[in-house]
Amino acid sequence: MMIIMKPGSTQVEVEHVIEHIRENGLTPHLSIGEDHTVIGAVGDTHAVSTAVFEVLDGVESVIRISQPYKLASRQFHPKNSVFPLDGFTIGGKEIAIIAGPCSVESREQLLETAQAVRAAGAHALRGGVFKPRTSPYAFQGLGEEGLELVVEARELTGMPVVVEITSITQLELMVKYVDVIQIGARNMQNFALLSAIGKTQTPVLLKRGMSATIEELLMASEYILSGGNQRVMLCERGIRTFETATRNTTDINAIPVLKLLTHLPVILDPSHSTGHADYVTAIARAAIAAGADGLIVEVHPDPAHALSDGRQSLKPEKFAELVKQVGQIAEVVGRKLVPIAKAQEL
Amino acid sequence: MLIIMHPGASQEQVENVIAAIERQNLSSHIIQGVEQTVIGAVGDSHSVGREVFEILPGVAGVTRISQPYKLASRQFHPNNSVFPLDGFSVGGEEIAIIAGPCAVESRSQLLETAMAIREAGANALRGGVFKPRTSPYVFQGLGEEGLEYLAEARELTGMPVVAEVMSIAQVELMIKYVDVLQIGARNMQNFSLLRAIGETHIPILLKRGMSATIEELLMASEYILSGGNSRVMLCERGIRTFETATRNTTDINAIPVLKSLTHLPVILDPSHSTGLSEYVASVARAGVAAGADGLIIEVHNDPANSLSDGRQSLTPEKFAILVKQVKAVAEAVERRLAPLVH
Repeated sequence: MMIIMKPGSTQVEVEHVIEHIRENGLTPHLSIGEDHTVIGAVGDTHAVSTAVFEVLDGVESVIRISQPYKLASRQFHPKNSVFPLDGFTIGGKEIAIIAGPCSVESREQLLETAQAVRAAGAHALRGGVFKPRTSPYAFQGLGEEGLELVVEARELTGMPVVVEITSITQLELMVKYVDVIQIGARNMQNFALLSAIGKTQTPVLLKRGMSATIEELLMASEYILSGGNQRVMLCERGIRTFETATRNTTDINAIPVLKLLTHLPVILDPSHSTGHADYVTAIARAAIAAGADGLIVEVHPDPAHALSDGRQSLKPEKFAELVKQVGQIAEVVGRKLVPIAKAQEL
Repeated sequence: MLIIMHPGASQEQVENVIAAIERQNLSSHIIQGVEQTVIGAVGDSHSVGREVFEILPGVAGVTRISQPYKLASRQFHPNNSVFPLDGFSVGGEEIAIIAGPCAVESRSQLLETAMAIREAGANALRGGVFKPRTSPYVFQGLGEEGLEYLAEARELTGMPVVAEVMSIAQVELMIKYVDVLQIGARNMQNFSLLRAIGETHIPILLKRGMSATIEELLMASEYILSGGNSRVMLCERGIRTFETATRNTTDINAIPVLKSLTHLPVILDPSHSTGLSEYVASVARAGVAAGADGLIIEVHNDPANSLSDGRQSLTPEKFAILVKQVKAVAEAVERRLAPLVH
């Protein structure tokens, strides 16, 4: 960490900063320039906040040099994290596609969609049962009844299931029923929830908050990893910008940036990151071309009558076309889709 | 256009709005709701500003239904605009790669880079001679001397050249030397400059402003198209967001959105949209996978000693790898790279 002193800061102020550096178990390095004095704080600073020094008299600013995250960092763990997901692996050479409805609406809707996405080439099933809807008056999900339907769909298709958790009180129930717990964008910094999930061993799909930086996403993953749960996948789902032509702006840069900074698998959600079914396939192709390890795509048998996210849901036929196109891109970037037979022989 | 009246707007206010609609040669359709009245203004409204109605008493809001641009619209021109660019075409099945240094720094730098990128598979050469730098104290470009080097590089390599114009005063000079005029992000809404180049017949590469919406980019293109110059390429170069890990945020959504809204060719600039050379190839692949018609990439023979944008410039060797990867992606989406000049 570099602590930059104000021009004209006193000797006493500088000594006070040095004292604080030592108190935090770090070694000070003093460099006196023409206008500014700069003090380096050397050592393992990931657990030291910049605020510790920012509040001291005479300090102009504090610059963090090393990353504030450790367990998520590629420096700490140079090789990709590859872990099994009920029949296949994620984070390695194979690209996994998770698909399904935004919400579980009924037994019939879920089972029909599950079979359709499996036939089209999906490897895992998504479906929300606790829905974080912007309006408290909109459909909020089927709750435990929905979880039972999700389990039935898994038995029918052999696909592992991914379901979002919205509160700690749901955790025990979710761990019992689902293969992957999703943390939605709105809960990316629900630190109590992150810590609680860190104590389980269920794989986690952690979505980037809509106004969260890449570093904040990695810090959120650090909460889970530091609890002992190593199986975290990160998901770019679009960020909030001034553009109104799409629901969110897909931060495609985040894919190569994350692949460089972390060993964790990186997934893209082109359904939320565009918000329009018309653009989902193009962005799904782009993600794989940019180096993503997987996709999570919203599919509904009848988008016009979906209870949520109909505008961004693909019909099963369109989804089958997406899988085909994504498979072609995967091959030219030296990857391949998880073989379907492998995902099915469970 | 839909004019939404305040709850409790008077009959007189409604009639006043209807009169204003008729003055714009549009016809009105009243929809009487339970709480609010909505008045539709029907007809060719692309040249009518919403402000005309927004300022009237009793109006709560005005929503535009049809697009405010016309010549740029795919509705107006359903087929892709395909036009030749000195040896190849842009906007069709072929994907064009424009490459070169951020700025022309010297004769040897430009000629060496030009030869290297042609060797690596570029179709056209870029190089700035008038540079819109954030600081007035840094290198501002070589001006006309740089244009002469660009002309020499074209002679030497056979590649058409793309250079940025910053002011109307430079237009006449630049047309003499370059094949494509670039309008940079900072000038996307320099409307007098857009009008001036609209009166020329030189192809234009129009970059999206860093805080411009897709619709504003299309409106900027409309300035050029409405002057009579129909050869406009649009370029996504990243937008300003809260993210600090990269220089800009590549709005990859803009590629399929633009391809659906307009017939004009769409190019991606992954050098500016990421700002860091280690991410350029990944995002270039993504651009072509998403449906872009071309790329514009910064390449420098010695990035560490470049006078501008060194951090985002590729070496010729890295650029050659990018071309190879982009070619494979192009084939996977049933496109192909434009043939090389000889």
